[in-house]
Amino acid sequence: MATTSLARSSLKTLTKYDSFLVGNSAYVPPSFESIATIVGTGASGTITFNSIPSTYTHLQIRVLARSTLAGNISTNLSLRFNGDTGSNYVSHRLVGDGTSATANASTAQSNINVIPISAALTAANIMGAAIYDILDYTSTTKNKVIKAIGGDDQNGTGELYIGSGLWLNTAAVTSLTLFTSSFFTTTTTIALYGIRG
Amino acid sequence: MATTYQLISSQILGSSSASVTFSSIPATYTDLLLKVSLRSDQAAYTEVFNLRFNGITTTTYSYTAVAGSSGTTSSFAASAETYARSGPTPGSVNTANTFGNAEVYIPGYTVAQNKPIGAFGISETNSANDAWVQSNAALWRSTAAITSITILPIGGPNWVTGSSFYLYGIKNS
Repeated sequence: MATTSLARSSLKTLTKYDSFLVGNSAYVPPSFESIATIVGTGASGTITFNSIPSTYTHLQIRVLARSTLAGNISTNLSLRFNGDTGSNYVSHRLVGDGTSATANASTAQSNINVIPISAALTAANIMGAAIYDILDYTSTTKNKVIKAIGGDDQNGTGELYIGSGLWLNTAAVTSLTLFTSSFFTTTTTIALYGIRG
Repeated sequence: MATTYQLISSQILGSSSASVTFSSIPATYTDLLLKVSLRSDQAAYTEVFNLRFNGITTTTYSYTAVAGSSGTTSSFAASAETYARSGPTPGSVNTANTFGNAEVYIPGYTVAQNKPIGAFGISETNSANDAWVQSNAALWRSTAAITSITILPIGGPNWVTGSSFYLYGIKNS
């Protein structure tokens, strides 16, 4: 933020202004703002952002998450829009596991499932991380498309995912639900950001 | 606290257009971030969106990519290009009303060194095949500050109505 020295201010010149804004730089709001952050409870596998304001142009979800699912190194992190449980979702993934790269897809699903998160067999305190981007989420003429990058490294093994998802619906996004098998740990943090356009 | 992430300009197409240009980009930021939601009228599943800086059409661009599509992975590259290939986006054969989702990060756009570009984009469709997930590294071999960016399809000829383009400035202080 620009500063104005007292030597040039109205305090020095004794000039009277009718607005406190005179001499100050115009305030330009940031384009990237936090909407909400939800922390896992250890007793629920669902996190929902409701009543998402329509005042932004894009949404970004930032995930630091782990599931309590026993017997697994990693498990799903699924995404659903506006509570739609129909078979209206498509996912595509490019996966690297440190040895090779593969690509796969799933269609006619009841959720987008692109990036897995760490689960109970992963060593303690190792989390999965991901970022999801949803452009033009208030549009009523575009199906909603996400891109995502994330994964989890387990000190010798791990997986990286970059992927995409499609919700075959042109409705504006007003709620987002993320869910996993079993429960989100209390160390899980999922944050929703709004980006102005 | 300084505001580090600001919209510079946006364009949403009310009619189809062969290209979109952001001109007179201010030099007051550290990096640029471009977000695009694109669809081309090319009669194919996949279009490629390209960037051209400062209107330069010489063979000073190159790129390297990794991609996944139709159950296979690939990596490819090209040099001496006349634009910076930045990723996939749907063509007219993709599922209706479905646009791509991509962003391009351009660090140090005013610095007197060649300009590296990092891009991540996807082209979706309601099929196990014919979608693309891709990440590109590209290079413009010019030390000039970037003052304009043109986004154009490789096939096209046009970006369709509703395609949207958002240019952000990122400050490091």
